[in-house]
Amino acid sequence: MSPRLLVLIPSAVAINLAMGFLTNQLGLPLYLDTIGTVLTAALAGPVVGVVTGLVSQVVRSLYEGFIWLPFGFVQVAIALLAALAARGRGFRSTAASLGWGAFTGVGGGVVSALISYVVFRGVTATGVTAVTTLLAGAGLTRAQAVTAASVGTDLVDKMIVFALVGAALRALPMRVAARYPWAVRAVGR
Amino acid sequence: MKLHPYTPFLLVLATGLLAFLLPAPAGPAALYAVVAAAAVVTGMTRTVLAAALLTLPLWAFLLLLHAILPGGEGLAAAIAQGSRLGAVATASLMLIRGFEPSRFLDAASARGASLSAAYLVVSTLEAAPRLRRQAAAILEAQRARGLRIGGSAAGRLRALVPLTLPLVLGTLAEVDDRAMALEVRGFGGGQARTPLDPPSVTARDRMLRWAALLAVMASAAWRFL
Amino acid sequence: MSAVELEEVTFRYAGVDAPALAGVSLTVPEGTICWLYGSPGAGASTLLLAAAGLAPRFTGGSITGRVRLLGADPHAAEGRAALRGRVAYIGAVPDLQLSGVAGTVWEEVAFGPANLRWPVERIRAAVEDAAGRLGIEHLLGRRPSALSGGEKQRVVFASLLAFAPSVWLLDEADSALDAEGRAVVASLIGAERERGAAIVVAAEDADAMLAAADRVVLLDRGAMVFDGPPRELLGRELAWERGPGGTSIASLGRAALARCGSVRLAEPYPLDVREAVARWR
Repeated sequence: MSPRLLVLIPSAVAINLAMGFLTNQLGLPLYLDTIGTVLTAALAGPVVGVVTGLVSQVVRSLYEGFIWLPFGFVQVAIALLAALAARGRGFRSTAASLGWGAFTGVGGGVVSALISYVVFRGVTATGVTAVTTLLAGAGLTRAQAVTAASVGTDLVDKMIVFALVGAALRALPMRVAARYPWAVRAVGR
Repeated sequence: MKLHPYTPFLLVLATGLLAFLLPAPAGPAALYAVVAAAAVVTGMTRTVLAAALLTLPLWAFLLLLHAILPGGEGLAAAIAQGSRLGAVATASLMLIRGFEPSRFLDAASARGASLSAAYLVVSTLEAAPRLRRQAAAILEAQRARGLRIGGSAAGRLRALVPLTLPLVLGTLAEVDDRAMALEVRGFGGGQARTPLDPPSVTARDRMLRWAALLAVMASAAWRFL
Repeated sequence: MSAVELEEVTFRYAGVDAPALAGVSLTVPEGTICWLYGSPGAGASTLLLAAAGLAPRFTGGSITGRVRLLGADPHAAEGRAALRGRVAYIGAVPDLQLSGVAGTVWEEVAFGPANLRWPVERIRAAVEDAAGRLGIEHLLGRRPSALSGGEKQRVVFASLLAFAPSVWLLDEADSALDAEGRAVVASLIGAERERGAAIVVAAEDADAMLAAADRVVLLDRGAMVFDGPPRELLGRELAWERGPGGTSIASLGRAALARCGSVRLAEPYPLDVREAVARWR
């Protein structure tokens, strides 16, 4: 692995972790903890995105307990979909980013619902769990409630993540963007 | 005498496997008790409390979802799942408290392993607090320039842009300088390197590893045979 | 053999029309200090990166011409292998030069030699020696990220000194240091020159470099416009016309000339206090 990727990936993982701090400060019920993953996938392709996602999950597990490790699969799914978006010039405008973000949100939401339901019996990170509990109280079955809650939160979350990454990529000076062939294509230059 | 840096990882892995292999709810509950006792014995009582605090909301939701609302799997299922999460959370917090990045890197060097994976984890642990400080600094700076972070949801959502873009763009601008500094100092990631103070595998390490392996194999046999 | 050789080197960053380096030829023999001088954007930083073989590999862009370091080509893989651990490049921001994986300053200084697979005893001796020469023995047990900017800068110098490089390429590398730190680094660079290392340094401080450098290269918009002893540039109008100016005493003399127009004040301006006293008394 080149020294540049050895530096880029830890930085991107650290962005993932720092986003939790920002959303907390803003009081937004979002994670945005895949910005770094989507960013590296759009800059350097699917492999680098997947590694970023997996390292994120491992390091987060170190801080918060290894119970969340199974959600690494969600990071993998998101990295792959983000790379696909980059290939399809999906970051060329805010509208395109939101569209691809919605698509990725549904994909990631389905994977995370599967994990929540199978491994965690419906009780995972508190935000989603609160919605799940509410829906279950309203009469949905637990499987339905978990799916609805996961896909719902992931949809909005990933749309915002993609919009922010798209804005960052388009703001990148050409001198920097030229070092990442995927990025130039992602913004449709 | 400190444990070899790989041993805690193997123990956490074993805890994770045992949590789901042992018969519920007595198995997971007993495992949680053993892990918590180990933490207390090794002088990490605060870790037990921190993990309990971390899993407290999950306990609440588990009890609500499984024991109180209709259609749940019952109190026993809630206790089993809560104990699993508690045991794994306690074990992994013990690991992070005792984690020494350079010993981990030395252990990898001593095996002659490619350093990329070890470097990624260690350098991320170093980068995480740095980026967090940077995020806090950006927040402070934008606030001083009049960015309002309270108010409506739409307003707070818009505030994300002036907070996230400087963080992302600033980080990308630094990547090449950092990469050059690594290269200048002979670091390529793929090559072997001199372990500065290679940690040794002691009798205690071997005993703990074997005990963990035997426990996992025994409970798997119990479960599947 | 010259330690650093550039022949007709032209460099362009991606997306920028004007070249950052335009046909630069420069030879720096062993045991000399060559000072790169110029206004921001004149090309000094790019010249150092191109000489180190780091541009365009890390910066993007395109290069033409010929570069040799210690006889090897830093832009080719086999040349880089031959040069590993023999060239020290230091940038201006000490935070960005740290390895990011060292728990202590000792490990930070040992990082390079360990990557070069030196035996542990040799690494220990090298770390001790480098720490002693930079005056950072008392910091060896501290976390690098917890140090002040000036302390980090000293640690960065020590961590490159540890593998005794033959070429130093320094880009404003003393910017974070206080006066005492600058003096330590200046005497280190002097000692490295005596040892036979070639030193190419981009710096703004004309007063300090007047005494320290054997030679100054003035760059303007990527082209070399002067190459010679600092004394012959820093009191001349050329230093202001094509660069950031001369020494502070020379600037004073130049301002006085503009006010009074006396022949006694004419170019070349005195460079330091001693010369000024001799001429203006």
